[in-house]
Amino acid sequence: MQKRLRQWLAGLLVVILLLPLGGCTLPGLSGSGKDTVRIAAQNTTEQQIMAYVIQGMIQHYTKLNTSIINNLGSGNVSFNALKNGDADISSIRFYGTDLTTILNEKFERDPAKVKRTVTRDFQKRYQMTYFESYGFADTYAWMVKPSYAKKYHLKTVSDLKKLAPKMTVGIDQIWQNRQGDGYPAFQKAYGYQFGTVKPMQLGLLYDALAANKMDAVLGYSTDGRVASYHLKLLKDDRDFFPPYDASPVATNQVLKQHPELRSVLNRLVGQVSLKTMQRLNYQVDDQLQEPQTVAKQFLKDHHYFEGGH
Amino acid sequence: MKDMGLWSQLIYYFAHNGMYVLNQFNQTFLVSIYGVLLGAIVGIPIGIWTSQHRRLSPVVIGFANVIQTVPSLAMLSILMLGLGLGQNTVIATVFLYSLLPIVKNTYTGMLSVDRDVLDAGKGMGMTRMQIMTTIRIPLSLSVIIAGIRNALVLGIGITVIGSFIGSGGLGDIIVRGTNATNGGAIILAGALPTALMAIITDLVLSFIEKRLTPKTSSAA
Repeated sequence: MQKRLRQWLAGLLVVILLLPLGGCTLPGLSGSGKDTVRIAAQNTTEQQIMAYVIQGMIQHYTKLNTSIINNLGSGNVSFNALKNGDADISSIRFYGTDLTTILNEKFERDPAKVKRTVTRDFQKRYQMTYFESYGFADTYAWMVKPSYAKKYHLKTVSDLKKLAPKMTVGIDQIWQNRQGDGYPAFQKAYGYQFGTVKPMQLGLLYDALAANKMDAVLGYSTDGRVASYHLKLLKDDRDFFPPYDASPVATNQVLKQHPELRSVLNRLVGQVSLKTMQRLNYQVDDQLQEPQTVAKQFLKDHHYFEGGH
Repeated sequence: MKDMGLWSQLIYYFAHNGMYVLNQFNQTFLVSIYGVLLGAIVGIPIGIWTSQHRRLSPVVIGFANVIQTVPSLAMLSILMLGLGLGQNTVIATVFLYSLLPIVKNTYTGMLSVDRDVLDAGKGMGMTRMQIMTTIRIPLSLSVIIAGIRNALVLGIGITVIGSFIGSGGLGDIIVRGTNATNGGAIILAGALPTALMAIITDLVLSFIEKRLTPKTSSAA
């Protein structure tokens, strides 16, 4: 009986010894160790490029380890990753989107007001710091193939009015029921609705349009595929879509633990223009380069923004 | 880019992103290895213990079987609720899936040891421990390795799916390929190394397995 007991104890000991493994990082992995800054990126090209840019900057200026939590499905998922402590930095967030989706506040058109509210509420409610914008803004834009635009003489979003009932259009999943600048408000502003509306993942929209599966899609103005498919953007003649400034967001906890991160992230403020972002996106979406490769080259070309600040 | 054929696109891709692919390859490999290693550390003792208490074998193996029937994406999501996003969750998933092949093979290996050899050991006055370390384990090692081999090939597949909970690795490349314009080459750039990894680990372990197969034949 004594021997049995000893065997049991030995087994128990092994299990107890194994338990702490869950909390630490195994050698060779860029896991969740103590000095690791985790950057959350969504499944869009832009998000991933900026995540690698932030990673490159942190590696250049500090001795911290970094890891990237990639391919998150939406802004809500990446926000929850920060809120639950799975990640420390969100590579790109938009004031305008967070106002209505995360803070559940009413849609607001004045950018300065939106920025004030979101910055304040993220700080107060979620203990997260919204940084100043990278310098580019995303906005939704209706786009069509050039041949389609030529055939029906399309220049502006209003021009779609007479065609709309017969059109099949693709939209971003979250846009359909979005408050303020979503589809319901769009119908009111422009006074028409489309025949068939197909919500789908953002990345598929451009391919669907290029493959003639759609007559028009609502995509992002910064997307590299606009250039690679030579899509025509229709002018938002009623100024319906507000521009969304893109910024990184970090939890106060990580900024407190590693105060040097604040100056690293601040170096990127205002350094990435719309044209630059489009070019970087294009290199990834069309030129077979990985976001990491593009980000590294970008940082090297700009000497890691050592001049600024 | 569009004027290049698929294969030249692939070569172009590797030429420009080689370091990145290599890095993701390592990450995928390590995550799978760690999961299976933990599975072996836990699974082999369980298998040995079960073989000594055969009444309990339906319970233990039944339990491992139940784990195996959960679809991997569901398992990843369930574990994500508790462990959060990232590589540790994927390692835990691989660990759980590797239990069945390892436990089952260890159990089978232990039982398939020739009774005559065991009796001979006993007759020589060996203790239970000596029988275990000098007869049972060496003779069943090849079967145990076969279990680890199964677990590892399975584990690589799961690690690639783990990309959806932010663990990175070759799965990221595949997912990105599905999002990119003309992503065919990128999909291949992620899928080929994955397949290669699975095939090579399988070959290496099957070689080890063959080397460890006991050469004594009672038939001769």
